[in-house]
Formats: sequence, C-alpha cells, structure tokens
Amino acid sequence: MAVSGKFSVGIDIGGTFTDIALIGDGGEIHTHKLLSTPQDYSIAIANGIEQLLDAQEIDASDIGLIIHATTVATNTILEFKGAKTALITTEGFRDVLEMRRLRIPVLYDLRFRKPPPLVPRRRRFELAERLDSNGQVLRAMNEEDLREIVAALKEEGVESVAICLIHAHANSDHERRIESFLAKELGDQIYLSRSSEVLPEIREYERSSTTVVNAYVGPVVASYLHSISRNLKKIGVECPLQIMHSAGGVMSVDLAVRKPSHLVESGPAAGVIAAARLAEASSRPNVISFDMGGTTAKAALVEGGKPTRTAEYEVGAGINLCSKLVKGGGYPIKLPFIDVSEIGAGGGSIVSVSEDGRISVGPESAGAEPGPVAYGRGGTEPTITDALIAMGYINPKNIVGGKFDLDREAAIAAIQEKVAARIGKGADETAHGILTLAVATMTRAIKAVSTYQGRDPRSFSLVAFGGNGPVVAAEIARSLNMAEVIIPPAAGVFSAVGLLFSDVEYELVRSVFGRDAGHDAAALSAIYHEMAQEARHALIEEGYSPQTIQIEQMADIRYAGQAYELTIAAKFDENDALDIEAMGTFFGYEHERTYGHKSDTDPFQIISLKTIARVPNLYQIRDSQLQSNHAGKSGCRSVYFGHQEQWLDTPVCARGEIPKIPRSGPLVIEEFDSTCVVPPDARVHLDDAGNVIIRFGEEE
Amino acid sequence: MRPEIDPITFEVIQNALSSIADEMALVILRSAYSPVVRDSMDYSTALCDSKGQVVAQGLTLAVQLGTFPDVMRILVSRYGEEMHDGDVFIVNDPYGYGGQHLPDIYIITPIFIEGTLAGYSATMAHHSDVGGIAPGSVAIHAREIYQEGLRLPLARLYSAGRENESLFEIITKNTRSPIQVLGDLRAQIAACKAGQRGLEQLAEKYDLDQLNFYFEALHDFAEQRMRAVIEALPDVVYENVDYIDGVGHDPQQLRIQVRIEIRGSDVFVDFDGSSKQIAAAINCPVAAVNSATYCAIRCMARDPIPNCEGYMRPIHVSAPVGSILNPVEPAACGARGVMAYRCFDAIMGAFGKVLPESVIAGSEGGPILFSVGGRHKGKPFVLTEVMVGCWGGRHGIDGEEGISNPAANLSNQPIELIEAELPLRIHKYSLVTDSAGPGEFRGGMAFERIFENLADQSQFTVRSDRRKHRPYGVADGQPGRPSASTLIRFGKAAINLPTMPMESFDLVPGDIVQIISAGGGGFGPAFERDPAAVLDDVLNDKVSIEGARHDYGVIIRDGVLDRDSTNVLRARAREAR
Repeated sequence: MAVSGKFSVGIDIGGTFTDIALIGDGGEIHTHKLLSTPQDYSIAIANGIEQLLDAQEIDASDIGLIIHATTVATNTILEFKGAKTALITTEGFRDVLEMRRLRIPVLYDLRFRKPPPLVPRRRRFELAERLDSNGQVLRAMNEEDLREIVAALKEEGVESVAICLIHAHANSDHERRIESFLAKELGDQIYLSRSSEVLPEIREYERSSTTVVNAYVGPVVASYLHSISRNLKKIGVECPLQIMHSAGGVMSVDLAVRKPSHLVESGPAAGVIAAARLAEASSRPNVISFDMGGTTAKAALVEGGKPTRTAEYEVGAGINLCSKLVKGGGYPIKLPFIDVSEIGAGGGSIVSVSEDGRISVGPESAGAEPGPVAYGRGGTEPTITDALIAMGYINPKNIVGGKFDLDREAAIAAIQEKVAARIGKGADETAHGILTLAVATMTRAIKAVSTYQGRDPRSFSLVAFGGNGPVVAAEIARSLNMAEVIIPPAAGVFSAVGLLFSDVEYELVRSVFGRDAGHDAAALSAIYHEMAQEARHALIEEGYSPQTIQIEQMADIRYAGQAYELTIAAKFDENDALDIEAMGTFFGYEHERTYGHKSDTDPFQIISLKTIARVPNLYQIRDSQLQSNHAGKSGCRSVYFGHQEQWLDTPVCARGEIPKIPRSGPLVIEEFDSTCVVPPDARVHLDDAGNVIIRFGEEE
Repeated sequence: MRPEIDPITFEVIQNALSSIADEMALVILRSAYSPVVRDSMDYSTALCDSKGQVVAQGLTLAVQLGTFPDVMRILVSRYGEEMHDGDVFIVNDPYGYGGQHLPDIYIITPIFIEGTLAGYSATMAHHSDVGGIAPGSVAIHAREIYQEGLRLPLARLYSAGRENESLFEIITKNTRSPIQVLGDLRAQIAACKAGQRGLEQLAEKYDLDQLNFYFEALHDFAEQRMRAVIEALPDVVYENVDYIDGVGHDPQQLRIQVRIEIRGSDVFVDFDGSSKQIAAAINCPVAAVNSATYCAIRCMARDPIPNCEGYMRPIHVSAPVGSILNPVEPAACGARGVMAYRCFDAIMGAFGKVLPESVIAGSEGGPILFSVGGRHKGKPFVLTEVMVGCWGGRHGIDGEEGISNPAANLSNQPIELIEAELPLRIHKYSLVTDSAGPGEFRGGMAFERIFENLADQSQFTVRSDRRKHRPYGVADGQPGRPSASTLIRFGKAAINLPTMPMESFDLVPGDIVQIISAGGGGFGPAFERDPAAVLDDVLNDKVSIEGARHDYGVIIRDGVLDRDSTNVLRARAREAR
C-alpha cells in the first residue's frame, strides 16, 4: 500500500487541541491547530483537514495517506467506558486477574483502594482444560463445557470476551477452539480477543491483563476509527488511514481494531518519533525528547537514532510514573512501548503552599478549564503558566497567535497572595522560584530515562517541543548540565509532524524460556526464521511490497535468577546460525552500562525472541521544510531572569530573524503556538533546517 | 519553616534526594538475582548524611524502611573516624551490630567529596542463602543463631578500594547459592555507587555546608510533621495484646503486649509484658521491632512525611531485654518477619480501640512462607514463595483482597514461570468465598494456592499464622477466617499441618500441598452492611447465599435481594442483642 496521493496528513489529538500537519511531494510541511471536539473527536479532525486544505488550495483527492495518533484507548480506561467484558480462563485461575501482582503503589496509606478489575468476578468464567509449559495437553478441553458459559454471556449481555488460558503462550489450540466456538454461537456482534494472539508471552497475569485491556477497549476503538473514516469520506478523503502504536510505528485500521491494546501510548510516541527523525537528520544520534503541555511533561531517550523501548506499562496509574519503582496503580500492558517517562508538571499545574510552609508544583492541574489565573476563566490558583507570564517569559498578548489575551496583573496578584506572601518573598522572585521548582520536578522525568538506565544526560542534546517545552527547555538543560537545546520549527504541533515520518511496523514476540528450545542455537534460529516469515507475511497481506520490508530481530536476556531482562540485538554468524555466545557478551556489556556491574561467568537465559517487520517511511525530515507560523510582533520586553540578573530588557523576535551565527541571550522567540526563551548566559542560532539551537558553555 | 530556609531550595534538594534514592532502589530491583529481592522487594536503599542519618530512601518494603538507623549508628561510632574513600562495609549480625536476621546483608559505603566525608550510601538486601541448617537460611526449627548460617560483624569488604579477597571467599564458602549471593552483593555495591554519583552531582550545585544545612532542615521538617500527627492523637494510654499461635505440633501461644503513651508530641511505645525469647527462629531482634513501630506510627499520618530520619525522633520504642522482641544471643531469628508484622498489628489494634476511624482491621497476619526443594532428574531445585494477602476493613471502605500486607509490598511469582522452571504444578490460585471477616465494611478475602509435587524427591516447610488468633475486627467487626495448611496424599486422609511446624516434610510425586491464608478482619457491625453490597458480593461469589444470611442477615433469592425477609431477620437479631 504505497502512498499514491501527493500529500500525507498527520493528526495528533490532545484533550484541548487537535494538531494537523500536512506534507507534500516537495517536502514542504504545513500545520494547523484547532480546538478538539471531545463529544466526537472526528468532527475536529474533518474540519481541521478541510480548513488546512482550503488554506493551501489542495484537493481532498490528492491526499494519499492519513496517519493518526489517538488517546481513545487510554481515555476509555481512565473513564471506565469500555465494553461490558467477560474473561474465560483455565479452571482454578479466575482470580489471577483480580489478585494481580499484589503490589501497592503508595506506602503508609491505609485508605488505599485497588483499581477495580476491568472484568468483575461474576464475568470471569473457568473452563476445565490444562496445558503444561511446553504446550502439551494435560487435560483436554471439551466444547460442550462452553455451552453453559455461552448462556451466561448472553444473559449478562456481554459485548466483548477475553480468552486467556494458562500456558496458551506455548500452544494456542484451546484458545482458538474457544474463539471459534464463541464466534459461531454469538455471531460477529461480539468482540473476541485471545491471549495467544494479543501477547503469546509467558507470565499469566501480564498476559491476562493485556488481553483484557484489549477486549475492554476493542469495541470502543473500532467504532471511533470507523467514525473517523466516515467523516473523512464526507469531506472527500478516501485514502487509507493508519494509526500510530505505542512503539512509534504505524498500523492499519484493521490491525488497530484487532489489537487496540497497542494504541495506549499512541500520542506520546509520535513526539518521540519526530525527535528521533530530527536527531537523525541533523547528525545527532543521541537526543532526549522533552514534550511539555498543559498537564504533564514527558521525556524519552533516543540513542543511535532509535527511541528506547520498554515492554511494561501501566495504563491509568496516574501521571507520576517516572519513579518506575512503584507498581500496582493501574492496568499493566506488556507490549512494546517507547519508554516515555511522564510527570505531572505542565503549564496548568497548580502551585500551592501547605500549612507548614512547604511549596509544591502539581500534580493537580487547572487543566484547560478553568485554566491558569491569567486566562480569566475562573481559575484562582496560580499555575506554572501564571509564573511564566509574571516573569515576562510568555507574552500575555500572543497566546495561540494572539487569539485571546491574558491577564498578567491577575497572575501576579495570585502569585503574590497565594504563594509569595506565605513564603516571605517578592512576587518576581517567587515566580522564578516556581520555575526552578517546576524544572527540578521535570528533570526527574529526564533522569528516569537517562541516569536511571546508566545514561549520562550530558552526552545528549535536548529536543524540546509541545506548547510549553520551548519556554523552559534552556532551564531544564542547565539543571542537567546538558550543553545543547534544539527547538524544531512548529514546536507546538511537533508530534503531528512526527506522524508524517513514522515507519510501518509489525512486531512479534515468542517466549522460549523454560521451553525445550532453551539455548539451542538451531532451534532458536528456526523460531526466528518462522517469526520473520509471519511478520513479513502480515505486511504483505496489508499490501506492502516484499522488497520494501526490513526485518529486525532481538532477544530479551537476563542472568539466571533475575526478574528483568535487557533487549539485545540478535546476532547471526557467517553461516546464518544464531551466535548465542556473541549475544551473551554483548548482554554483559549492556548490563554493566545500565546497572554498573556484570559477570563474565554467571549463566544467562534467553527469555523471549522479538521480531519487527518494518516498511521505512519514504519521507526524510532533512529534505522537508517546516513552514513556521509566526504571528507575533518583534520588539522588546522586560523579562525576569532570577535573583542575580533581575529584570532585563530582552529582544523579542520571530524564528526567521534569528541569525545563523550564534548570538548571546537574552532573547525571546515568539511563534504562533509556542514561545522560546534564551537565557542571558546562553547563545542561540538558527541551523539550515530552521531549528533554533541554544548552547551553554564556552564558544567553540 | 525557619526564615533562613529558602523553601524553593528546600524542595529542589528534597526532590533530588528522592530521585537518588529511587535510582539506587531501581539498580537493585532490576539487577538482583535473589527472588526475595525481586518479588518481595525485601531490600532497602538509603542515602545518609555525614552523621549517618538517613536523608532519603527508596520506597520498597514499608516494615523494613526503619532498619538503617541502628546499623548506621554503630558504623559511625566504630569507624566514623577512620573512614576512607573506597571503603565498602558489610554486616548482617543482629547481636551488637544492628542487623535483623542473617540473610539481610547490609552494604554501606562512605561518600567523600573533595576529601571530605559528605554522607553514606546504604543498602540492605535479603540474600537467597547464607548457610545454616536449611536452604534459604530461614528455618523455624533453628534453636540457636549458630544454626542459622554465616554471621558477619561489621567488616570492610573493600578497604580504600582494595578488595578483601579472604572475606569474599568466606562468603562464597558459606552459601548454597554463591552465584546469587555474589551477584546481589555486586548489585548492592553498584547501587551505592549510584548514590555516590547522585550526591556528587548535587554537591556541584550546592556546597557541602549548604547541603548539610538543608539535610538538617529536612530532618527538622519531618520531625515537625510527625510531632503534629502525634499531638493530634488523644492523650490517653493505648493498650493491646495480640498473639502468635506458636510453633510445633503443640503450640504455646506467644504474647505481644504493647502500651502506647502520648506525652505532648512524643510517643512512647513499650512492649513490656511480651513473651520471653524461645528456642525457635521467630525471635525478633530489636532493630526490626523499631522499624515496624516507625511504620505503624507513620500510617497514622494522613499527610506525606519526607522519608528521612527526622520523623523517627519523637518515636521512642522499648522492648524488654531477653523477650521475643528484644532477644539476646544466641536466640535464633531467621523467621522473625512474622513478629514484625505482628508488632504492626498490635499497635494498629491498640489505636483501633480508641480511634477506629484511623486504623485498619487485621490483615492476613503477614506473609506465609512456603519453601520447597529437592532433586529432580538429578538436578537440585528450590522455590521459596512469600505469599500474601489481604487487608482488613476500614472506616467507610471494605478491605482489599489480592494485595500485599499493608506493611509490606510483596509480589507473587508467575505460575507459568514456576511451572516452566521447576518440577511443580499449581492447580489453583484463587480467592476464598466466605473467608472475609464480616463487617459493615468487610475484610479482604483470603487466597488459596494449591501445589502438586512432580519431583522425584523433595521436602517442604511452611510458616503461617493467624489460625487460633484470627485477624481482628475493629468497631464490632468480625475477625477473618483462619488460615490452613494441608498435605494431601493420594488415597490417604488429608493431614492438617501446624501453623509453624518445627520440621520439614517429605513429598513424593503426586503429593499436594494446599495453603489457605487468613481473611481480613471486618470493620463495624456486619448486620449494618448495606444489603446491596452484600448482594454484589453474592453475585460475585465472594460471599455465599448462606454466608449472606448467617453473617450479614441478608436474604437473597434467585440472585435478587429479598428486602422484607432481610428486614425481619435483622430486626430479630437486634432484639436478641
């Protein structure tokens, strides 16, 4: 399914805004931002595309591909609005889903409540059958036993069924038979999801949880995607729609409907892909992406041009995930994810002072409604945005291209009354203190993806975007001693831009731990071969030409006894046989790099094999031209740079006015949807691709 | 806060410290070999100031988080003057060194910044085996500590960066699982290095004087918050007695007596009246009693308190020397964990009599330890499972089922991994109907786990409790159902096992062991429970129809609540009282 039209469109949906990016044959990129329509998101999508097409005088039939990053899967779980779901499992194990891994996400809180299971006990059914870890049948199943379950499913009015049997990772036969029996008895009105298709990996709870999430969100995702397709047809767009998954690749609508559990971190992934492509294009293979919006800040590590991945994620666990130590607050999904660390600090995060004088920033947020005090929509608690406005970082007359004005005086008054007066400081200094504290909070998200994994942030550049990323980026970099900040053009809609450069990806995983294959190079090679075939076949079925498909293979390895694995690239020798020894050596090296120690003698285990089939995106960000939307006015304003520098007269300019040769700060760069602040001790220039580059330290 | 403290700097430093402690904890969690570490989070990491006081901790296992002060005090007083950059200290001995039980090995390193002692990285991890009479080194039937394995007094594992090879060899020769023990020691040392890097980076922004000033401010702040919590408690004496069922086939109950007195903003917790130490491995060294007490008192606070030592200052713990809660050499203490959980329960129970709304009813009583090992097809194997759990009911909220004990943060081991690795099969892992202590807010349900032995030859041991002395109810709630351990042999009558057998049992292929935990205690009178909530429990098979009638006075017919009959039954019960 090659792109046949002249244009591709990326659509990224947030709670407040829908961002759209469009790229043409010539590589020029146009962007658009409009308010989301939460009652039916597809309305804003269709309207936005129509507006952008009109503005650029493009015909709808010239659009060849639409790529979408969606929050629908996540929101369905956060709001408990999924389908009425049942679970069928092996006799003796219906409570595996509810007992979880027992962990508590908060200590010392006697009033903690577990997240309720997505399938209550009465809809969890047991079937007499049993497999062993090699997939051998210990107790055969009998279809007749399903009749009673089918009757109960009908009586309960179940809309979706998850099937997860013990050891189905090793043999899918029983699950398949249940699936076809249910399909026959219940018809296509019911959504079916089996663990051997969703996640054929060992560990019964993680597989159950993932399969149940899949079943729970499936029907909702299906109707959402079909509604988008319908609304796009109405405006004359009939091209294929692709969806970004949590690992940063894209998948077809059909696949997304079958495996919606892959969409949970769709939105955050898009920004990281954009940062990774930008890094590649500007010959900086190692960057940290930093995306700050209204309620959260997100960071991810890109190394050698590739985003770091993880295989564990808990959806609905709250937004202070960057601790990575606490578990049990949400619903685990064990699928490939870009390792995005998120923390509850965004523009709308509320600043408060406790009775005993302790100041905190977030995670409570004023959100879009009522929003910061300066928005004048009823917000009374000062936020990070209010502090930025008070210090002159943000122009009160230039939010989203000056579409609405902000009340700077009200922001200052709120900071004075609610914070400054209580900590005995002036309003200016307090506002700056709020920024310092917000930066300290957000750097934890960056540490979680760098120092926590044995990576030193000082050897990475910071790519900052999102509505608020460019405002605080330089301070973040300073606090982590990072030497360079990159602000891409159209930073406020950068995630949508990332969609235009995403590859098609299809990923498979096979557990080999405890199976007879073990460490047998020939057996493992055979499994890899089979996986490559299957993955290739899946993409060919979707219409991709075999020549364009690339295969990447990895293995999850650990020392015997450990609970966590590291993902290591599969290595084959000149005879195309798997070179396990070389992989073991590389595992030792990675282990030392990540955790600070290794062993040359301890036995290691291969837990699972992974295969990614990929069709690379034809567009190159280096050949493209992002059209920057400047809407502000050049000039000068007073900006507060802290206790020592105090208020400085600071030039304000558009991106296009930044010189190619580095000049010193202070400087404010204003754009349609974001503002970038260059501190007095940094230098700034514009590179050939239109990126703003801010550097600290000595001039080269 | 004092005026010379800048609230922003205070927060920034506090934030950096907890980030460092998290990073230390992650290094161990992700790279440890011991299942007790990775699944039970039975380890701790801390960053300490130059006086050895804890300034930040990774949030791992609640009941363990107060264990560093004792060992740090001893380290600083003995070696504080002769500390060198590159020293790595090791210790596990509970008698005279602040240790808890022998598997818990502490690794502590001083941190020097530009030649000045700036602080310490401290870690403790439960190792898989340190020798002694049984695999895993936590045999209840050990009668003296000399039977429990390798004792390590405070010693340098590295001296100014130089490895103490003899000590490494002694450790290697005294464990059944040298690869795991050495691997976990490496992980602990790596975590200490991460702590050092973190403090060094912090010292690039703030000089040491400034850091020390803010560390002290942090202690003071935590102390103030803790004092405010204590001051708010009614000024009465809280008393309670709880029991451990006892060891062996003819158990003698063991008494845990606690008296809590509030004096101003200080709290005095005294365990006088508790049983004498016994010749079995459940004596609880005082460091663990202190830690459990800190944990219980902290749970009375609703606001977060920074994880630094300052909060412990107003908490004063005493336990009589020679008692089961402050044993002296040579008392065995391998399985002392059950006592620490019971200290937590005893304190909760004491507060519960006066302040029911602030506490939690009895939980499952702490983890059930199940250990099985032997040989299969010529190869040795061992599995240790630390099983939990449920919570008791609370004011306005039911207890939780399928959750770690409130003072712990344990995990369960994946059934599929156990079966893939070991000659064992698990037939059932489920919640137990009618096991929750009835109450207006019922307790959490017990769990059941059934194992079948497939190995040619094997043995198992089990440590449970809460059979005779069940998880208590609060505010007229009922206790939870008792625990049970059963051995089922083909063609023979099931054998009920003691809660804490002083022996291990042989298994042949096909033998089945069934473990059932206790259920959580209820909160408030069960006949006051909302009938709709009882109906929901019945529909979910959490309470049987008979249980609904008997325990709650609720009549359910054909899945529908019979309101009239329920009212009649409940009214009759009220009259009978």
